[in-house]
Amino acid sequence: MNWLGIVPFAIFALLFLLLPTLNIVLGAFRTQQGGFTLDNITNLAQPRIATAFWVSIKLSFASAAIGCLIGFILATAVALGGLPRWIRQSTLTFSGVASNFAGVPLSFAFIATLGRVGILTIVLRDVFGINLYGLGFNLLSFWGLVLVYLYFQIPLMILIITPALDGLRREWREAAAILGATGFQYWRRVALPILWPSTLGTMALLFANSFGAIATAVALTGSQLSIVPIVLFNQIRGDVLQDPQLGYAIAFGMIVVTAVTNLIYIVMRVRSERWLK
Amino acid sequence: MAYLDLLHLEKSFGPNRVVKDFNIGIEQGEFVSLLGPSGCGKTTVLRMVAGFEAPNSGEIRISGVDLVGSRPNQRNIGMVFQSYALFPNLTVAQNVAFGLSVAGMKKAQIAERVAEMLDLIGLADLGQRFPYELSGGQQQRVALARALAVRPKVLLLDEPLSALDAQIRVTLRREIRAIQQRLGITTIFVTHDQEEALSISDRVVVMNGGLADQIGTPFDIYNHPTTRFVAEFVGTLNTFDVVVTDPDTGTVMMGATSLVLNRPVAAPKGGKVTLAMRPEAASLGGAGDLTLTGRVEDVQFLGAIIRIKANVGAHQLTLDIFNRADMPPPAIGSAVPISLSTHSLVVLVK
Amino acid sequence: MRTARFWPYAAFLCGLAYFIIPLIGMFEFSLRKRRGVYSLDAYTSVLTDPQFQQTFLYSLFMALVAIFIGVLLVVPTAYWVRLRLPKLRPVVEFVTLLPLVIPPVVLAFGYIRLFNTSSVVPFLGSEFGTNILLSCGYVVLALPYMYRAVDTGLRAIDILTLTEAAQGLGASWAAIIFRVILPNVRVAVASGAFLTFAIVIGEYVISALLDRPAFGPYLVWIGSNKAYEPSALAVMTFAITWGCMALIQVITQFSKHTRTPL
Repeated sequence: MNWLGIVPFAIFALLFLLLPTLNIVLGAFRTQQGGFTLDNITNLAQPRIATAFWVSIKLSFASAAIGCLIGFILATAVALGGLPRWIRQSTLTFSGVASNFAGVPLSFAFIATLGRVGILTIVLRDVFGINLYGLGFNLLSFWGLVLVYLYFQIPLMILIITPALDGLRREWREAAAILGATGFQYWRRVALPILWPSTLGTMALLFANSFGAIATAVALTGSQLSIVPIVLFNQIRGDVLQDPQLGYAIAFGMIVVTAVTNLIYIVMRVRSERWLK
Repeated sequence: MAYLDLLHLEKSFGPNRVVKDFNIGIEQGEFVSLLGPSGCGKTTVLRMVAGFEAPNSGEIRISGVDLVGSRPNQRNIGMVFQSYALFPNLTVAQNVAFGLSVAGMKKAQIAERVAEMLDLIGLADLGQRFPYELSGGQQQRVALARALAVRPKVLLLDEPLSALDAQIRVTLRREIRAIQQRLGITTIFVTHDQEEALSISDRVVVMNGGLADQIGTPFDIYNHPTTRFVAEFVGTLNTFDVVVTDPDTGTVMMGATSLVLNRPVAAPKGGKVTLAMRPEAASLGGAGDLTLTGRVEDVQFLGAIIRIKANVGAHQLTLDIFNRADMPPPAIGSAVPISLSTHSLVVLVK
Repeated sequence: MRTARFWPYAAFLCGLAYFIIPLIGMFEFSLRKRRGVYSLDAYTSVLTDPQFQQTFLYSLFMALVAIFIGVLLVVPTAYWVRLRLPKLRPVVEFVTLLPLVIPPVVLAFGYIRLFNTSSVVPFLGSEFGTNILLSCGYVVLALPYMYRAVDTGLRAIDILTLTEAAQGLGASWAAIIFRVILPNVRVAVASGAFLTFAIVIGEYVISALLDRPAFGPYLVWIGSNKAYEPSALAVMTFAITWGCMALIQVITQFSKHTRTPL
């Protein structure tokens, strides 16, 4: 009778997590009348949607990769760089805040800073004579969005990788040094391979994190930017009547993308982690 | 000038002087142990030789070349850590090959050297395993092979046996000594275990509070300790505080009893010195030029030896005598004659 | 060894600039409502807006409901899995991590399709049902964090001994969970609760798609209709997030000094 104890959880998960997902997966292969079809999936190939997927994937990959890289550098500087202890502690606390400071308010902060009348834009123009928008910068563009997403991606990376950096033992560095390795050789052959699994995992998480993010982009661009979550959002809100089944296919496509990301992560992790118990 | 010279080494961490004017010359192929309680500075000395700590002053010379100022990766020194410190992401063979491969050695040569090293430590079949698949003793052997693979000028062992089980500790220490002698590599071994230091070393440095209290062969250190700290740290010891009555003949008063040591004592008349005696130096009524009468307080039968605690006047003595089938241990409360040679009494002035 | 601190400091300062400047920007902007001088006009305007009050209170209430349901769901489950069903742990953990993989917009779409008025469980048929559905959605969003926090908390205490001791004293299962286990993981539960709150308060996509009058959609509406008020709201939201994280730190630190460390 032990299994009775998780029945509430199982029902909850089924009702609010698994069945809704399953519903989408099945719906993606159904006609409006309920018959099987692949048309919905092939409809994803239309330029408007395919482009949105491609932009979303690029956006998520760029923000995840850059977020990982910068987060890694910052975490290393703070955890191993010999900075005072309070800097490390406040960095971690701030990262906890910033990684949760996403969505609408975050885009407001960036509009106030780097929008056309944002403080930094104006200070750079009036004080330093640098006209950001004249130079082609636009907050409402692909790279503008990446810049905004990094505000929650980098802290998330810092939060996850710092414990892993703490796990690097001093003796490994010393053993490498006494065996003749330079600092670079130590990082390339020992430290980075050891950190690689957690870095990969974080990267997959960051990817999913920005792939599903919608509020930031909506608040920033007023749902004009063509990324998948916004396309789906609009589809649900407005266009459902025109082709209700297409929404299923888009949602299914999103699940596939994040699932594949995680699959890649799992495979790479298994390959790189043979040395772990 | 010896092969490895440590000259006037000084090291402070903040206001804390952990190594004070440390000097030793170590000959090529010699096995020297640094022995002392934790915090005595022995590990700091080792880490200065490795280059992980910079001395505040002093020199570290190998064949006359000062190493101070050069980085650890330029020193060509091998080191084995207490926690093994094997790289967990590399196989045993890759671990052993690490130093060779960062030095840019050719693959074929590396493979040859790795095989030779694994053979040396008796783990030839385990090259493809990862560290987590090995026992502690095996891991430490791999660490030794890794350190030796680069043919270092000096081998440093930082409490390499402390994390291991008692039994493995004894076998591995014998193996380490055998390998060291086979390769003839100059070795510094840090330990807090006196039995380990005595059994493995050519010479032992007993350290106390950042100072080298005594440097000598295990035989010397054990039988002729020069300070009370050395005498007490190394082995069990009976001590008696006595007053010198005649420094020239070595006559001292132990309570009301007068003892004549028949050798000069380096203390003035009326000075207080300590006499020290190992438990195994006395016998119950055997040979000796000095006989005391004691009352048995306690008898512990330990197999090969019998440990007897007996009171002589106000002092309690611990005596170890060999077990003999034809001689049962004395009864508690009985009076026994305790014979010893005055030569085996060590005079500690400090 | 020489310690080169230059690059660590340089990296840290660059990071600091990136993270601080938008905060300064948003704060400065929020004060600019009155022409020529800094003022708190934007804040007054926001705080006196009845819609702000309604949506904020609505989201606050939804957050509390989500925390309540979440705790009720997660604590007994995590406890039971650790105590009796350790073999199921990987499965349960996998399920709790799914919300990190399934985008909220997809989840919301699933809800709309699954719980419409003609379905077996027509949550969307009534306002009350929709509110329940929304808070359950919030529980799902917070599930990865809540479950991990509680599970870590449980790892630190010896639940088997506690359970057996309580059973020996004649306690029922409900009494064990709510009077023995819950108080012992209250720090973890509180951490999870504050995190849930921080996630829920500004949530946009589910509430917008379920058409609920929540704070997130209000923020977006303000963003496209007002100039300075959005920054004031962002400052306030940031303060709330900061407050939640600070409270997590405080209770964790506090418990470290007074009780067994987590």
